[in-house]
Amino acid sequence: MSAAPLSRACAAVLRRDLTLAWRRRGDIAMPVLYALIVVTLFPFALGPEDALLQRIASGVVLVTVLLAMLLALDGLFRGDLEDGSLEQLMLAPQPLAPLLGMKILAHWLTTALPLIVIAPLLAGMLHLPLAVQPVLLLALLLATPLLSLLGAVLVALTAGTRRSGMLLALMLLPLCVPVVIFAAGAVAAAQQGLPWIAPLAWLGAALAMAVVLAPLACAAALRIALDA
Amino acid sequence: MANWIPLWVHKLGSPPLFYRFAGAARPWLLALAVLAAAGGLYGGLVLAPSDYQQGDAYRIIFIHVPSAWMSLFIYGVMAVASFVALVWRVKLAEVVAMESAPVGAAFTFITLVTGSLWGKPMWGTWWTWDARLTSELVLLFLYLGVIGLYHAFEDRRQGARAAAFLALIGIVNVPIVHFSVNWWNTLHQGSTVRILGPSKMAPSMLWPLLTMMAATKLYYLASLCSRVRADLLALEGGKDWVRKIAEAEGSR
Repeated sequence: MSAAPLSRACAAVLRRDLTLAWRRRGDIAMPVLYALIVVTLFPFALGPEDALLQRIASGVVLVTVLLAMLLALDGLFRGDLEDGSLEQLMLAPQPLAPLLGMKILAHWLTTALPLIVIAPLLAGMLHLPLAVQPVLLLALLLATPLLSLLGAVLVALTAGTRRSGMLLALMLLPLCVPVVIFAAGAVAAAQQGLPWIAPLAWLGAALAMAVVLAPLACAAALRIALDA
Repeated sequence: MANWIPLWVHKLGSPPLFYRFAGAARPWLLALAVLAAAGGLYGGLVLAPSDYQQGDAYRIIFIHVPSAWMSLFIYGVMAVASFVALVWRVKLAEVVAMESAPVGAAFTFITLVTGSLWGKPMWGTWWTWDARLTSELVLLFLYLGVIGLYHAFEDRRQGARAAAFLALIGIVNVPIVHFSVNWWNTLHQGSTVRILGPSKMAPSMLWPLLTMMAATKLYYLASLCSRVRADLLALEGGKDWVRKIAEAEGSR
């Protein structure tokens, strides 16, 4: 029996993960609700003045999205590890890295994309000017896949451990400092009427590198963590 | 050809041989470290003149700067050992990488604490979001992540390999963080305070600094020797050579 071509295997993994996510639609709503609640808390804590909220809006939205993704990241391999399908994936004749890339893509589609969809609402709640919103969305579109890819490598490393939630935060947050700096930098520059392309170009460059390298690193990390 | 050198290095990778070697080297390294630290501190705290601008407060650099160098140097050692551990699966390299991490974290912590002690009278604040300070803080978090991941696994060797991988990801990230933080800081404001460059330093201040650097390096090596010895005993608990050492200790 010959192995299925890589493209068919990738499509199957993607379809399977999206179907699984769709069957538990409630889980998709959780990060969105979390982000909504966190953003609601900020005006309570800082006072409802327009000028202050406007100044912190982009940063708050970015950090909230980052934290919401961090919470969801823990579940990336959890189910597959428990029912053993991750081992099957590792034993598959196709190379592991592209298959994991598909899993990361499915995870991004189900957790980060809903967050990006409600990001204009979150930013609007904090009175971010309408003209800056496209820049924020662009920054999120570049930053969230980068976080998914970076996070997937670290989740893979903690796959063999029992409690990984706080550990994951400790490992991921230092690594995403540059992502936050460039994404927030672009929005802040746009808000001040300065050119904002350069930081986004850096994010794009980093994303291009991560798309190539992160699945490979993720596969290597998974093999280490599961000792296969 | 002198091929006894690579041969000796290869042999040193074996745990019992390294255990004996580290046991013999440790007292010498420690004694040299104490001597160098005593000389460096005497030179720095007593002999060196006080700074024309900062008075005596600048003397903290004799602790601060060597610690900062060590925080980066140990991360480098850890990354190289991690690479060796992952590629050639050398057990000793895993142990060296994992036992370097707490020492490095301690030096990073000392750097941050002494820096803020110095910053209070000089800058008027404990902490400022300067590029260097922020990078150093991120470095501390990277160390803590490596240590945390190592201890999260039940199997120590598996934990060491996973943490070694994280250390390698970290070393790719350190320059990126440093660069981005620099960029971030200069976007908002130019750097207002620069730490004295060592090249622009008077010789009377430079030699104690270099002596302290040697002292911290020697201390790191001595500390690494004892940590690795303890770890090797725990890791090789069931082996014959450990049993012999235990019997020798027991009959004493």
